[in-house]
Amino acid sequence: MEINIRNSGAVTILDLNGNLTIGRSEESLREAITRLLGEQQLNLLINLADVPMIDSSGIGAMIKSYTSVKDAGGHMKLLRPSRMARQLLSITGLLSVLETHDDEAAAVSSFR
Amino acid sequence: MQKAAQLRVTNRFGVERVIPLAKPVFTIGRKAENDLQMLHDTVSRQHAEIRYESDGYFLVDVGSKRGTFVNGQRIERSELQHLDRIRIGGDEDQQIQFIDDSVARAAAIFDSGAHLNLSGSTIDRARSASANDELQKLSRFVEVNQAFKFSLTPDDVLCLIVDAAIEITQAERGFLMLRNENGDLEFKVARDRNRNWILGGEFSMSRSVVEEVFRQNRSIIITGQSAQGGQETVRLLDLRTIACIPLRRFQMSENMDATTVFKRDVIGVLYVDSHIYSGSLTETSLRLLESLAFEATKSLESVRLMHEEQEKKNLEQELGVARAVQVALSPTAFVQPEHFEVSAASIPSRHLGGDFYDLQMLDDGRAVFALGDVSGKGIPAALLAAMAQGALQAQFASGESLDRIIQNLNRVLVQKSSSGRFLTLFCAVLDGHGGFVYVNAGHNLPILARIDGRVDLLTTKSVLLGAFDFARYESRATALASGDVVVIYSDGVTEAVNAAGEMFGEDRLETLVHSSVQLSAEQIREMILDEVLAFTRGLPQGDDITLIVLKMR
Repeated sequence: MEINIRNSGAVTILDLNGNLTIGRSEESLREAITRLLGEQQLNLLINLADVPMIDSSGIGAMIKSYTSVKDAGGHMKLLRPSRMARQLLSITGLLSVLETHDDEAAAVSSFR
Repeated sequence: MQKAAQLRVTNRFGVERVIPLAKPVFTIGRKAENDLQMLHDTVSRQHAEIRYESDGYFLVDVGSKRGTFVNGQRIERSELQHLDRIRIGGDEDQQIQFIDDSVARAAAIFDSGAHLNLSGSTIDRARSASANDELQKLSRFVEVNQAFKFSLTPDDVLCLIVDAAIEITQAERGFLMLRNENGDLEFKVARDRNRNWILGGEFSMSRSVVEEVFRQNRSIIITGQSAQGGQETVRLLDLRTIACIPLRRFQMSENMDATTVFKRDVIGVLYVDSHIYSGSLTETSLRLLESLAFEATKSLESVRLMHEEQEKKNLEQELGVARAVQVALSPTAFVQPEHFEVSAASIPSRHLGGDFYDLQMLDDGRAVFALGDVSGKGIPAALLAAMAQGALQAQFASGESLDRIIQNLNRVLVQKSSSGRFLTLFCAVLDGHGGFVYVNAGHNLPILARIDGRVDLLTTKSVLLGAFDFARYESRATALASGDVVVIYSDGVTEAVNAAGEMFGEDRLETLVHSSVQLSAEQIREMILDEVLAFTRGLPQGDDITLIVLKMR
């Protein structure tokens, strides 16, 4: 999985590309989050548009990421999860905790 | 695994005891309660202690009259180093030496083996008269080695090999190097002829000889006269005698698992050298060394296999324990009540997942149905599942409401599962009138197939357990009528994969349940499992498959 990081105003957008599944990809997400928090980037938007698959490890990585962002006083939101990802997020109840948007501009402005 | 250090206590008659320091505080003194009792006049009743603290052993004088000594120096508190000599008061009769090295331990075993006359004749340090004697000695050595094989680690064996090689060649020093995963040689053993460790990371030795032996897979023996051009270091170090032989992997190991660490035939080298010109390093000695190396590699291999076997056994045992816990907590005989029937099954996968289910009849006649899945696999998942199940059972005994119970369980899990494990759980309580209250904490949606053909998926949109301490859990209620069927399942059912890589899926399951509401709970359960097995035909089961089928009478 690749992670591209870009900024939109005060929001840092992480464009994930590839499956968020057990192993390297869940690690890279958590590493990226840790690094951004270290740089005081506290408004994080995770773009899931190009993540076809998420497994339970990926869910775990998202939970940990969310918790560390929250603990650092920041906000983490999700953007455009794929159908399968949305289904999993819905079943696990994470949609009730992780704010999720379908429109990037709306997502970015929701951080204000 | 950390092994306990030991004290080697030798009395004035030369009788030696080895006492493991297998407790955090090991006491020494004249009183009988001490771990090491010493009766000498100069020993106080409570004299000293050896404390194991933060990875070191410390000798502490606990207010003795005549003092405690390490290598002749009086101490109050001193960290013990391998081979330190300890004196308690003025007791010179007992030689106490601190041994803290699994490999050194092997030497102790080897020594005591000789002392015990296990070999038939004590190993004589003096030069043997003939090669025949050497061979005799060697075979004795191998016997000793084998006698102790079952308590030896691979490191122990390596140490024994080097000591024996020094013995045979009358060399001053001996080294053993093994190939590591990167293909480089790594020092494993460095010993002198007194069977002491040569300390220090780098050793001045002939690297070129070692490399040549290792790469060419052939033995090299160099005595004073034959040290030639290519071996610069030989002359620089003023080494007069060098013998170096390859350690070849024992042939049998080629049948073994391809993942063994050593992929090439030469697994290391055995090297001995001396500053003295040794006439005894002859072809015979070399052959002896080679047969030693052969025996050694063989022992090493068998010890390694044995350890793997042991580890496998341990793992199986642990898995067994975890399974036993799961089985013990899962209801075996559930008294079928008047107003509903229930049938449940859990098929653990080879990796042992974190599924569990529970059926309980409460004292007030209500029935509890729970099915959970801890993320991850293996023992930690299984144990957390067992813990969650135990907590759940205890909570229901307390008489709390379902939403409070799940709330409490979440708090416990957030505290206990620091490693980021979480639990998806569906939990429901059915009363005697068909009142069905449930919480779905991030779990696959159970299927409620009504007798009139309607199908509902049971969700409360609650987040999974063990993730967020701030999460709130609310229950929902519905009424079940006669003939209604509820199927609660784990993702092992819907995520079962066939040869084409297709998943069994929710839709297939829903259709199946919808079309079989006429059947009994047991028949529905059997049918679902049969369908899943038929779907994945021939493929190994990737995850635990767990299923509860409830049908209202």
